[in-house]
Amino acid sequence: MRKLFIFSTVTFWLVVAGFWLANFFLPLEPPSAVSTIAETADRNFTLSDVALHGREDDCWMAIEVQVYDITAYLPDHPSEPELVLPWCGKEATQAWQTKGKGRPHSPRADQLLAKYRIGKLDEAR
Amino acid sequence: MTSRPTSALVRRFAAPLAALVPPVAAVWWAFPENLPLWRSIAIVAAWAGSGLLVSSIVLMMRETHVARLLGGLESMYRWHHRSGMLAYLLLLCHPLALALDDWLEAPQLAWMLLAPWTQSWPLWLGWAALLLLMFGLTTTFAARLPYRRWRFFHLALGLGVLLGLAHVYALLGGANILLFLIVTTALALGWRLIASDVGAAAHPYHVVRVAHQPGEMIEVLLAPYASALAVSPGQFVLAAFGDGPHYRGCGEYHPFTVSGIEADGVLRLGIKALGPCSQRIQNLEAGVLVHLQGPFGIFLDGTPSRPQLWVAGGIGITPFMAALRAHRRVQPTTLIYLFRSAADAAFLDELSALVRTDPQFELLAEASGRGLPDFPGLLARISQITERDVNICGPMPMVDALMPQLRQLGVAADAIHFERFDFR
Ligand SMILES: Cc1cc2nc3c(=O)[nH]c(=O)nc-3n(C[C@H](O)[C@H](O)[C@H](O)COP(=O)(O)OP(=O)(O)OC[C@H]3O[C@@H](n4cnc5c(N)ncnc54)[C@H](O)[C@@H]3O)c2cc1C
Ligand code: HEM
Ligand code: HEM
Repeated sequence: MRKLFIFSTVTFWLVVAGFWLANFFLPLEPPSAVSTIAETADRNFTLSDVALHGREDDCWMAIEVQVYDITAYLPDHPSEPELVLPWCGKEATQAWQTKGKGRPHSPRADQLLAKYRIGKLDEAR
Repeated sequence: MTSRPTSALVRRFAAPLAALVPPVAAVWWAFPENLPLWRSIAIVAAWAGSGLLVSSIVLMMRETHVARLLGGLESMYRWHHRSGMLAYLLLLCHPLALALDDWLEAPQLAWMLLAPWTQSWPLWLGWAALLLLMFGLTTTFAARLPYRRWRFFHLALGLGVLLGLAHVYALLGGANILLFLIVTTALALGWRLIASDVGAAAHPYHVVRVAHQPGEMIEVLLAPYASALAVSPGQFVLAAFGDGPHYRGCGEYHPFTVSGIEADGVLRLGIKALGPCSQRIQNLEAGVLVHLQGPFGIFLDGTPSRPQLWVAGGIGITPFMAALRAHRRVQPTTLIYLFRSAADAAFLDELSALVRTDPQFELLAEASGRGLPDFPGLLARISQITERDVNICGPMPMVDALMPQLRQLGVAADAIHFERFDFR
């Protein structure tokens, strides 16, 4: 058991070091490029605006006071379409935060979502 | 007074089956659907690992009834080690599999998941947990640490489990399965620390008499103040000796096998000086308050159905003394008693007297000096060895040397039982 412990621990750190080293040899781009797109668009929408885009080929969602046009992403979504499509044109914060078993979306999904942001939800109206 | 013997099936399977419950329940609940492969692997590894950590904690609770139910402390400790180790392996895979999943998406993301400075506190908790487990296990496998320091560092593992569960709580909130894991851990760890380590569940006894034996060893007679423990021969208790008029006990719980069980709940313990605390116990006097927990252990459990071969090395004679003093042998029984020199051999007179009164009982006492005894020669003197159950209690090198020789003579593996005087 002692040998197994030493072997697995060393292997773990080697793999972590591998990820770290790999990081140096990679171009630094993807998530940072995304945010600039998101900054430029800052229009206000109401929930009724969002409701007009409730179809598979034109799908907006309001999540945490932001409005997203995820039409282009839908074909890439890992789950079956039946899970996501019902939320097109709706306020989907709840669905986003608790995709099955209360499991939140990963930090990466957050970044992915930011790419599709088109504006803010105007809650006053 | 004796309780029902534990069946071989329970001995073997109860602890591992119990260890399976938390991880299986957790993975069942959390089983990922519609998620990419490596993330799913990471999640399954995380829940199986979390569940096994909880199993590991439950298995070291050290509570008499739980121990009976789960096939004895020996088996529980074995599975404590195994489930803890397996949990660790799975939890090493968990962050790596998450990183690999990200890598497949975009290689830059993988390091972002692992590097602590790009994270927030739920994942810092994960890292802290993993590092504590790593540290705790490093000390666990550092064989030469003194026992007290070893135990202290080992406790880091308990903290690691709590931080790991806090990490999941921070990520997912209070899902039922997680609350089940947290409450189970808190109860088991709380029981262990308060009831067992501090001794809140202990029974008060007092020292009636101290008899000095050959070698650095005493035999103590203990009488209960209130309710007595229901001990059977072969079992051990955890004993913490307090203070007397001229004696200051070290107050910690140490395991000692009962060497005699008498009327009115009076127990005998044979204690050899093997380290600082047991050295101090040599100066024990009558009247000292003692706290006992137990009984534990399934050595010599049940009525033998076959002839017996017993092998005792040094202080390992204690469980056999308890059995011999309790009643006459129902099966032919040969005891090989090994010691360094005759001046070191406890109970020798009493054993010789027993040979004269009990025709079923035979004694082979042998001084073996410093090295290992001549096992082939000794075993050659045992008649019908393959017909016998073999029970061994002594130092580990002795057991290790004896095992292959017994197997070579055709003794079946499941006919050999041994008790170790060490939990590590
Ligand atoms: C199941 C069992 C039955 C035992 N029966 C007897 C007996 O009948 N007579 C007898 O003289 N001794 C017995 N021992 C051994 C006895 O418990 C140790 O000698 C004693 O605890 C040593 O403590 P120490 O502080 O004097 O020495 P240390 O130098 O602290 O320890 C010596 C060794 O004893 C073990 N040990 C120390 N403290 C503990 C503890 N709290 N729990 C478990 N192991 C510990 C460690 O492996 C250590 O390496 C038994 C041990 C076990 C596990
Ligand atoms: C990650 C895995 C593990 C965890 C979380 C863990 C946790 C614990 C805890 C909290 C205790 C109680 C300590 C005390 O109250 O003093 C304990 C006791 C113990 N553990 Fe572990 N442990 C793990 C792995 C192991 C391994 C791998 C071994 C041995 C190879 C081991 C051997 C022991 C022993 C011998 C005891 C107690 C002995 C006694 O009762 O005095 N543990 N463990
Ligand atoms: C003892 C250590 C750890 C335990 C017990 C543990 C356990 C868990 C569990 C049970 C989950 C929930 C998975 C799910 O259903 O979504 C989880 C998620 C996660 N853990 Fe850990 N973890 C540990 C260490 C770590 C470490 C060291 C890291 C990172 C460096 C980490 C990163 C994560 C991440 C990112 C998630 C989210 C996974 C997801 O997207 O669902 N964990 N962890």
